[in-house]
Amino acid sequence: MSLILLAALPFLGAVFPALLIRAGRDASSGAAGMVTLIAFVGLMTNAPAVMRGEVVTAQLSWLPSLGLNAHFFLDGLGLLFAGLILGIGLLIILYARYYLSREDPMGQFYTYLLLFQGAMVGIVLSDNILLLLVFWELTSLSSFLLIGYWRHLPEGRQGARMALTVTGAGGLAMIGGMLILGNIAGSYDLSVILTQKDAIQASPMYIPALILILLGAFTKSAQFPFHFWLPHAMAAPTPVSAYLHSATMVKAGLFLMARMWPVLAGTDAWFYIVATTGLVTMVTAAVIALFKDDLKALLAFSTVSHLGLITMLLGFGTPYAAVAAVFHIINHATFKAALFMSAGIIDHEAGTRDIKQLGGLRTLMPLTFVMSTIASLSMAGLPPFNGFISKEMMLEQTLHTEWYSNPWIVAVLATVGAMFSAAYSFRYIAHVFLGPKRESYPHSLHDPVPGLWLSPAFLVTLVVVIGLFPATLAEGIVDVAAGAVTGGASGHVHLKLWHGINAPLMMSIVAILVGLLLIWTYARIRGVWDAARRPEAKTMFDAVVRALTGLSRAVTDTLHDGTVTRYAAIFLLFTLGLGWLAWSGGATAAPDRVLLMGNSLTIVGWFCLVGSTACLVAFHRNRLMALVILGVVGLMISMMFNYLSAPDLALTQLSVEVVTIILLLLALNFMPRETPAEGAGLRQVRNVGLAAVGGLGVGGLMYAILSRNPVMESISQYHLDNSYSGGGGTNVVNVILVDFRGYDTFGEIIVLGIAAIVIFAITEAILDGPVRARLLNRKPPEPRAGDTHPLMMVVATRVMMPIALMVAAYIFFRGHNLPGGGFIAGLVAAIAVIMQYMASGFSWAAARQRFPYHGIIGSGVLIAAVTGLGAWFNDLPFLTSAFGYVTIPPLEKFELATAALFDLGVFLAVVGAVMLALESLSRYAWQPGMVSEYPMDINPVRDDGDAEEQEGAQ
Amino acid sequence: MAEFFQYVVAASLVIAGIFGIVGSFGLIKLNDPMSRLHAPTKATTLGVGGVLIASMVHALMVEHHLSVHELLITIFLFLTAPITANFIAKAHIHRHCTAEDLPDPAPDARWAGLTEEEADTPDAQ
Repeated sequence: MSLILLAALPFLGAVFPALLIRAGRDASSGAAGMVTLIAFVGLMTNAPAVMRGEVVTAQLSWLPSLGLNAHFFLDGLGLLFAGLILGIGLLIILYARYYLSREDPMGQFYTYLLLFQGAMVGIVLSDNILLLLVFWELTSLSSFLLIGYWRHLPEGRQGARMALTVTGAGGLAMIGGMLILGNIAGSYDLSVILTQKDAIQASPMYIPALILILLGAFTKSAQFPFHFWLPHAMAAPTPVSAYLHSATMVKAGLFLMARMWPVLAGTDAWFYIVATTGLVTMVTAAVIALFKDDLKALLAFSTVSHLGLITMLLGFGTPYAAVAAVFHIINHATFKAALFMSAGIIDHEAGTRDIKQLGGLRTLMPLTFVMSTIASLSMAGLPPFNGFISKEMMLEQTLHTEWYSNPWIVAVLATVGAMFSAAYSFRYIAHVFLGPKRESYPHSLHDPVPGLWLSPAFLVTLVVVIGLFPATLAEGIVDVAAGAVTGGASGHVHLKLWHGINAPLMMSIVAILVGLLLIWTYARIRGVWDAARRPEAKTMFDAVVRALTGLSRAVTDTLHDGTVTRYAAIFLLFTLGLGWLAWSGGATAAPDRVLLMGNSLTIVGWFCLVGSTACLVAFHRNRLMALVILGVVGLMISMMFNYLSAPDLALTQLSVEVVTIILLLLALNFMPRETPAEGAGLRQVRNVGLAAVGGLGVGGLMYAILSRNPVMESISQYHLDNSYSGGGGTNVVNVILVDFRGYDTFGEIIVLGIAAIVIFAITEAILDGPVRARLLNRKPPEPRAGDTHPLMMVVATRVMMPIALMVAAYIFFRGHNLPGGGFIAGLVAAIAVIMQYMASGFSWAAARQRFPYHGIIGSGVLIAAVTGLGAWFNDLPFLTSAFGYVTIPPLEKFELATAALFDLGVFLAVVGAVMLALESLSRYAWQPGMVSEYPMDINPVRDDGDAEEQEGAQ
Repeated sequence: MAEFFQYVVAASLVIAGIFGIVGSFGLIKLNDPMSRLHAPTKATTLGVGGVLIASMVHALMVEHHLSVHELLITIFLFLTAPITANFIAKAHIHRHCTAEDLPDPAPDARWAGLTEEEADTPDAQ
């Protein structure tokens, strides 16, 4: 199966469980299992080639200009990880089917799980590090959803947030590291980067890149001091813990270190950072794990400890240590997933996972007892299980490792880690299964249904057989995987259970004996531990998060305390600062333009503009008055546009003005007639001063720009020259909008549509809330007049409607060659409809409006997009327009351009957006009884009886 | 001949200007809304009308082509001016009059601009 399909399969399949949950839980889990099975089989079809030592690749260009390509490759390491992800994924899907209760939304669970699976498969198959980063972040996001799956539990939500914060922050660091790495290597493709070892290690940016990448890997793999999120993520359902937090996601960090091993490993920096972190993590987490009473917390810390072990092995930088690391990844995945699932079984059956409430389960749950014991003994590193073999290999390596020329410290610390590891494994057996049977347990206890024990049983079988026959079962895959990690330096691997009596065996025996001793004297040691003061990671994390939240809230609340004056002041100050910076930083030429004399027309216009602005300042407290004056300013500006030969702008300004005034009138409906009085004093001085400086600054800037010729030639001439020959239209403004800058316009209509839909959504949200009752009971500030929909107005607007629509059509069609176009036509058409709303009332008009405005917006955007896509069929870039001239007698020769279709999209989007915004605002004013049956309140033609009824209803 | 029409154009413009000023002056000078309603009608009829006639005559007789844009403006004025007047009158009745101030409406109707309460109260007279 193609690797691209393999990586896409879980994502595509993620739809099915969510859909099929309607057909029942079996159908949903069956769909998830089938998707995973197909992917697994697909992976296996590639396995023979990989086992022969080949590398399977699949390439798809995505954004080659950014170096981001969907390149995938599968080598031994990828095969190992993908096999673990998909294989254990299958077992988990089976287990989760029986683990989740009837109340849990199972479809959602499997969908999240498949998304996660897809992201993981993507990580291990990616050949492009940018692509890998995308999948990396996807695992963080999907694991957030999975950890917080039980939304009703605060621990679940907090754990999910913590995991997302830590792994997300690490992911950000890693993005930086990867970009540096790609920059050094000159390519973002792993297959290239992996050949550049010398260049990368010689680069001065090697250390920063290493640290940033390791931050990502360490946070993901829960290495000290970022280990704290993993135990809190245990609030997730157990299948998630078994899958994400033991077998797959936390190993993504290890995978990355193994993947980068050929280029990053082998230096002192690598050894001291990675090996030390791993060693510290291994020992610390093993110690903490011994004292955890929650089964899952114990396993979580033990996972952290084992991840530390593998990290340490990778950090050693020797090929044999890498082999041990790869082998331990397999072993840990088998026994730890089995242990998690057994812990889930105990939790499921006993109703608790608190060790203090358990004990003596061996006769009650014999099957679980056997499975847990075998897996625990493997975790403790006892022969003949697989954990023993890899632990011996690890100890063997520590003996050959010097840490700051100290030959024994690593070996001793590793043995200490092994002691505690043995101790908590024994405790898991002794305190849960052995010991006296209790009087009562939270639930009656028995072994679970087969669906729950089959998956762990399978893994436990693997634990035993890999332990007994490592050469037959694991050697092949470990061989190719380690070969991929070390770039072939590991040679041929030999795995065997028994190496004879040697130093590592002695260390193991010591560790196991001390482990037994620790359990023997557990009560006393526990007393000492409980008495000691320990830093609590969650408290510290919460404190940091609280401090950060407090800081950002303090900053935001100071800057945005709800007064518009303050926003404006800050904005002005900032803009002034920037303006000053730009002005003082650059050079300005002397004014070289001739001053033109004003004529009477411009002087009158100037007086009107300045006078109305002055009036606005004087009367600004009366809101209605301010609006009227604002209208005057708008009209003057549109006249100015017209005078300065910008008829398109004038038309747009005029129609926008009408719509804006109506919108503001609607809003004024809900506001007091006067604005609150501003206080006097220092603040007033500040505001007036700022406003004056800002106004003078803008004025001065305008003057400076107008009095000088442009430094560089403007693009206008190009547009003028090419408008007709390139775009087929003589109206340059319109050709720019629909052709030269069509992509911008396309973006703008989308933004416009989104803005309108957001207004609608906010209205919906507000009208669903408690405000609704207040709005419904609102008493208008003034008594309402009768005859709200007067006959004359209704008749006039109806006469006007076809005329206005015709004007809109006319403006639309002539737009390409004469002033006009889709945007203005859209506004005019919207005004034609708004007139009906105004004349006959919102309810009456809305009831007769058959096309939802959302749909109009959507169809507009779609038409524009489809027009743009049309260019592809002619092998031209998106939005290239085509045009031609047609003569149909008796009409004059006229032009047909695809740009007109695009303009139609603009037209529809504008109509829809304007109307949706106005309609949303109108809905606030709606009150019961405002339903009018007739377009006009008083109609002499209507039967009198009806009129009376109508009045009665009013 | 052209000179004659230039006089016609000039006269129309002057008449339009006079009525425009009279209308605007009245708008400021007159006391209550109902009287004020009166004033702008001068500007919208003879005031604007004069300008339009001048423009049409000028186009036809001096520039020798027929211009009908002015007719459109006239039509829009016909459409909008009554509605504006209607709304001003309604606003006046609404804000300043009670049912007692006004003559009795037709038996089956009521004064449109009154508040609902006022219109619904039985006739006080």
